[in-house]
Amino acid sequence: MTTADRRLTAEPARALAAPRPTKPGPDRAGRGGRRTARSGRRRRRTVALLYLLPALLPYTLFSVLPLLHTAYLSFFDWDGVTLPSFVGLDNYGRIGSDPQLRAAAWHAGALILFFSVLPICVGLVAAALVSRRAGRRGTGLVRTVLFLPQVIPLVAVGILWRWVYAEDGILNQALRAVGLGGLADAWLGSFTWALPAVGLIGTWVVSGLCMVLFLSGTQRIDQEIYEAARMDGAGPVREFWSITVPLLRPEFAVALSITVIAALSSFDLIYITTGGGPGNSTVVPGILIYRLAFGGGAVGVASALAIVLTAVISVAVLVINRLSREAP
Amino acid sequence: MRSMSHSPSSLSRRTFLTATGAIGAVALTACSELTPGASSSDKSSTGPFSTAVPADKITLVVADADDTTMTPGLLDAFREQHPNITVKRQYTGWDDYLKSINTTMSADTAPDIAQFTSGMQNLVPGRLLLKVGEYGKAYGWATKFPGLDQITLTPDGKTVGTGDLYGVGAGLSFEGVYYNKAKANELGLTTPPATLADLEALFAKARAAGETALVAGNLDGGLNHPFNVLLSAYLTPKDREAWAFGHRSATIVLPEAKTAAETLLRWVDKGYVTPKVNGVSDNDATAAFAKGEGVFRISGNWAAAAVAKGLGDRAGYFNMPPVTAGGKVRTTGAGVYYCVSSKSKNAAAAAAFLDFAASARAAAVTAKAGFMAPDAGAMPSQTGLLGDVQSGWETIVKDAGLQPFIQNSSTPTMGDTLTTQLQLLVGGKVTPEKFLAGLQSDFENYHK
Repeated sequence: MTTADRRLTAEPARALAAPRPTKPGPDRAGRGGRRTARSGRRRRRTVALLYLLPALLPYTLFSVLPLLHTAYLSFFDWDGVTLPSFVGLDNYGRIGSDPQLRAAAWHAGALILFFSVLPICVGLVAAALVSRRAGRRGTGLVRTVLFLPQVIPLVAVGILWRWVYAEDGILNQALRAVGLGGLADAWLGSFTWALPAVGLIGTWVVSGLCMVLFLSGTQRIDQEIYEAARMDGAGPVREFWSITVPLLRPEFAVALSITVIAALSSFDLIYITTGGGPGNSTVVPGILIYRLAFGGGAVGVASALAIVLTAVISVAVLVINRLSREAP
Repeated sequence: MRSMSHSPSSLSRRTFLTATGAIGAVALTACSELTPGASSSDKSSTGPFSTAVPADKITLVVADADDTTMTPGLLDAFREQHPNITVKRQYTGWDDYLKSINTTMSADTAPDIAQFTSGMQNLVPGRLLLKVGEYGKAYGWATKFPGLDQITLTPDGKTVGTGDLYGVGAGLSFEGVYYNKAKANELGLTTPPATLADLEALFAKARAAGETALVAGNLDGGLNHPFNVLLSAYLTPKDREAWAFGHRSATIVLPEAKTAAETLLRWVDKGYVTPKVNGVSDNDATAAFAKGEGVFRISGNWAAAAVAKGLGDRAGYFNMPPVTAGGKVRTTGAGVYYCVSSKSKNAAAAAAFLDFAASARAAAVTAKAGFMAPDAGAMPSQTGLLGDVQSGWETIVKDAGLQPFIQNSSTPTMGDTLTTQLQLLVGGKVTPEKFLAGLQSDFENYHK
């Protein structure tokens, strides 16, 4: 197809796609008259690039380049201060054989349960309840309260929950108050409970976000579908499983992507609450990267680990998006 | 209107791409300066090593993680003596300081003076620390400061105690046993105990009376305090220093170290230590003890102020007893050490500050903050708990019993490793043998 042909077909399509401005604007003034459509298109491309620039530039400077830099560093044995030596893929080999890292990978996987599965379940149920009661008194408050944890900085969340989980913290006080004092534990110091305890903080934080995502999704669903279902005698539970859940597929994809990223790259919550302890029972890749790079002077290994983590997360998100695109 | 429509097209796509490319290239060049290969010249104490303080207007930047009143107090006093020197303090919390100081010192804007901490030994082979030995000779620091071996390092930075001098210790800290006098009297405990066994007998009595004998928190590895002092008591000073200072082929897999680990584990297993100790932070343990919980607490003199404030007249202190009655008192301690950046343009002024830390004026500030001053004689005599701590210090100096923390200079990762291993040990996940082997494997990874 020549440029001339394309011009011919492109113009009407665009006219259909975008309604023309009703009053003459700067854009219109340029397009009509002496200028050819070709130069107009080139100019529009330039304009488009210009619009991208404010986002593209910081993104390149602060995300793409550091990522490339990290990848570069992962091929060196470097303590961060003295001269480095090139070691090729040795750092990647070291990652593969580190037992601590296998534990970290396992913990990150377990966190998906707490950061993704549970919040999506909680968010879904909350959204269904709130949307059915829309407009009635108190739903706004419920929505705000559930979303609130999302607004608090994670460091503050961590400190807050350290108090909750402490030996004489709120959780144990509550257990003792109802006569279950025997169950009380120093949760963050327990080899059995530290990981679930930290995970549940994640559930608490992320559930509100999932609820808001699903709420916006339910508003998109045509009310007539619900009415039709009710005519056929469907109850709230049937409505939920047969209409709400299948039609929320795009929101599931978004919620799952965001929360899986949060689970696999988790660092701050764990750093504040347990620091990876007791023993290695809550160590995650993020904690290991931090320890290696900043305390241990092993910048190369830390970079290699960061690259592997980034790759794993990217693949996970790709898979989620691919799966969610398939028709139900 | 027209000029508006015109301006975007006047910036052609080529210009745009060139501009983006140029910015990208600049960014990449900037990056390549940060990448491995950052060169640094060996700038060890150049210029005249006199004790003269420059008279022109200069600025000294001091980075530290000292949460007591010592560093700010010393800076204030130094500022008063030298009005021409502007002193700027960059304070960072301890954990963040440990993790960030190496990058801070590598930057072109490195502070002139920094508090020296574990992990900073990497700066030595990077030649980012100034060798201050010549200033030391000019000022006569060898006789003014105790414990200079803790900041004397080999050129690879891996071994402490031999090599070049990189700074001075301004305020020294050491560990001992705090106790709640009121409760000890009530329980009929005779203090101070003469031996470690006597101390353990007191723990047993306190436990039998339903008290927490030893208040501790190990969420962030606080049991390293009792473990360090137990090692001080059991290990020979030679073995202890060889390992703590990172001497090649040193080992901690020793029968005496095993005894220390077993003792700590026994204290936990017999219920002397705060229950569920892995779930309590060290700060919370100090706070609980200061509020009147438990009978004993093994910690450093940095906790003296908090304990005195909380317990008042009921606060008491004694040195960690030796293994055999009448033996020499040995304990674990460190100090607030100051070092100088090799990038400092005001090395002479920085050296003057280091020397100032040994002055009688500084001793008053240091003592008030709860640290032991290098010039012990110049410390004002104190009463109450701080007085007890101070007289404990005099015994330790007399017995030459101050030993380094094992996690401070053995390897840069030993702090994390010790925390992990102590949690595993008292959580019943590893035996004392495996615990020591875990520490040793970290040591051998670094000193191979």
